[in-house]
Amino acid sequence: MKKGLVGYAFISPWILGFLMFTAYPFLSSIVLSFTRYNIVTPPVWVGGANYRTLAHGDPLFWASLGVTVKFAMMAVPLSVAAGVGLALLLNLDIRGISLYRTIFFIPSILPSVATSVVFLWLLNPEIGLVNRLLRAVGIAGPEWLQSPQWALPSLVLMSLWGVGGSMVIYLAGLKDIPVYLYEAALIDGATPWQRLRNVTLPMLSPVIFFNVIMGVIGVFQYFTEAFIMTQGGPEDSTHFYALYLFERAWHYLDMGYASAMGWVLFLIIISITGLLFWSQRRWVHYEG
Amino acid sequence: MQGNTRKRVATALAALTVAGALTITLAPQAHWTTPATAFAARPAPPRIPVYYWHMWSAQWQPVMEHVVAEFNASQTKYEVIPVQVPYGQADTKFLLSAAGGDPPDVMAQWTQAIGSWGQAGVLQPLETKMSPAERRSFSHDTYPVFHDNGWYKGHLYGLPLAVDVYACYYRPDQFRQAGLDPDRFPDTLEALTDVGSRLNQVDSDGRYARLGFLPQGLTRYAPAFGGGFYDPRTHQALLDTPENKRALDYLTQTGQKLGMERVRRFSAGLKSENNGADWPFIDGSFTVTLDGEWRVMQLAQFAPHMEYRVAPLPPPRGGKPLASFASIDYLTIPVGAQHPEGAWEFIKFWSGLDDPERAAAFNASFGWLPSSPRMTNSPAYQAYLRRYPQYQTFVRLAASSNLVTTPPVPYQQFLMDRIQSKDELAERGAVTPNEALAQLERETERERRRRRELGYDQ
Repeated sequence: MKKGLVGYAFISPWILGFLMFTAYPFLSSIVLSFTRYNIVTPPVWVGGANYRTLAHGDPLFWASLGVTVKFAMMAVPLSVAAGVGLALLLNLDIRGISLYRTIFFIPSILPSVATSVVFLWLLNPEIGLVNRLLRAVGIAGPEWLQSPQWALPSLVLMSLWGVGGSMVIYLAGLKDIPVYLYEAALIDGATPWQRLRNVTLPMLSPVIFFNVIMGVIGVFQYFTEAFIMTQGGPEDSTHFYALYLFERAWHYLDMGYASAMGWVLFLIIISITGLLFWSQRRWVHYEG
Repeated sequence: MQGNTRKRVATALAALTVAGALTITLAPQAHWTTPATAFAARPAPPRIPVYYWHMWSAQWQPVMEHVVAEFNASQTKYEVIPVQVPYGQADTKFLLSAAGGDPPDVMAQWTQAIGSWGQAGVLQPLETKMSPAERRSFSHDTYPVFHDNGWYKGHLYGLPLAVDVYACYYRPDQFRQAGLDPDRFPDTLEALTDVGSRLNQVDSDGRYARLGFLPQGLTRYAPAFGGGFYDPRTHQALLDTPENKRALDYLTQTGQKLGMERVRRFSAGLKSENNGADWPFIDGSFTVTLDGEWRVMQLAQFAPHMEYRVAPLPPPRGGKPLASFASIDYLTIPVGAQHPEGAWEFIKFWSGLDDPERAAAFNASFGWLPSSPRMTNSPAYQAYLRRYPQYQTFVRLAASSNLVTTPPVPYQQFLMDRIQSKDELAERGAVTPNEALAQLERETERERRRRRELGYDQ
């Protein structure tokens, strides 16, 4: 008992921090979502009015949700494919592999603000490196972030810059696959493609599942890059949900409404996560 | 024994950890703002500290700190302590400080949200702090743009300190190269657009190397068409009007003639506009450009030998002369300020409410517009105008009654964001000007209705 108390005492700074800066705001926001609250004066109860407006009276809410869903549908599968592909390449037994792994991992630890600023230049249609390289081979590059058709795909492509983080997890998963499975497959005459499809991917599926869940949670909260690079433009084509939520809270002093948006987002993420958990029976293979 | 000692040490450490965590989280807050070392309180006689937050940086910061030093030197009661807050985080920091009950005593604001914040109860009314003489002087002696702004529902929540207006900067050398007379600047917007098209230059790939004149931005051009965004009779935003439609039609058609994709690619290759030294006008990327009065001093600093001139934006046929959109910098006193009296003394001193001639020197050192004829005619300001004759155009604009500002409605930032968004849609050709303005009206009305239903704007 006393030992336990000493342990709790040691982690008390974290517990206090969690209670004050996570649990309390989290629970407060439930109440705030049923109020009108401008941050400065006390909240006033308005019942479900914020949720009613979200459902029926705010086209920007639906537009921003649409942008975010579109982004998620492009970015999550692409980052899984890129992460697994890179991990497979970096799992090869060649000279200098540690260096390659480091090179591919480093971008994922860079601050997203710095990355955004660099990509603003890279994707500049006139003086950016990407279009200059394309021009060198005779291709007229698109307008990237300044085109409503290209801005969202540009951010999707940019999101691959940080794929090193999930790549390391896939790599750990690959290292965990028992060698005897590959030996048995080789004896059965399996081709490399068959080994990938029938051994590697099923054995890696728990890791893929984990990264898909984390990816979905991440893309639905996508904010920094859009805030810095496009501010929601051009033509609202990158007006992400989290960006609109931020505007509602801090630009329009509409914290009650923003709290309601936060809870809708929470329910969306929970629902998608639930769906993914429900679907894992069909495609996630746990050894043993 | 050893085990006991280890236990005691562990328990003591645990107790220390708890105590430390509790101290950090529950201790009564000190004033967290750190005074700039240059303004550490003078030892004697002791003065009341007045915390002042601002967003000026780079070349403006020492100018602003000089104003503070002048005020402090004039005082025996108050000591203003300036704290620079980064522009990008200033609003959030300010609102959080107000919500937390520990705001600064005075804050300089650029965000055009005085009405919103006044309505939200963030700011103190200032007209109640004026003496009758000050009130008379403020209402009758200052230019309209100064005494008409900063109000919301009969209360003055921000005292206008500086006003940004827009006029045409142009390059006489490029006029001459094109066979045009720089002494005869076009007197209608249509003529200016025509002159601009003759000044365009393209490179061998057909890309723009220079644009003669690129009109963009509904807020900047609507005033010349007699447009605007507010109806003072109903105290509501007024958006879908024939004047605004004419302005948006003009911008859209001019953009289409130039080729919007080519224009966007050209603009993307330009240096940042925010930095005075990199202003594209300096490197000759534009012959005529609509910009603010602060560029005069930047040109003196970064391109002292460059020949340029300034003229008011010529009105379209049937439009309004000497018209411009005006953005305003305010001095505000937040609710919860510990020393509002000291804050008010500082505001009066800086704005020139009690002595416009003294404040004229401050405005001149910043390159700001004068707030009243008295300030304009003061020796300090006249000396400034002799030094920078191109500034005369802006002074004429400051006195104009054709200035349009952010509407004093409680949803100011929503409104300005939507205006910008719909303007962009129209100018890029995604929707017609008619549809853009209709959408703008619908979305604004929807927001108004929502706020009414929630009881926000009672």
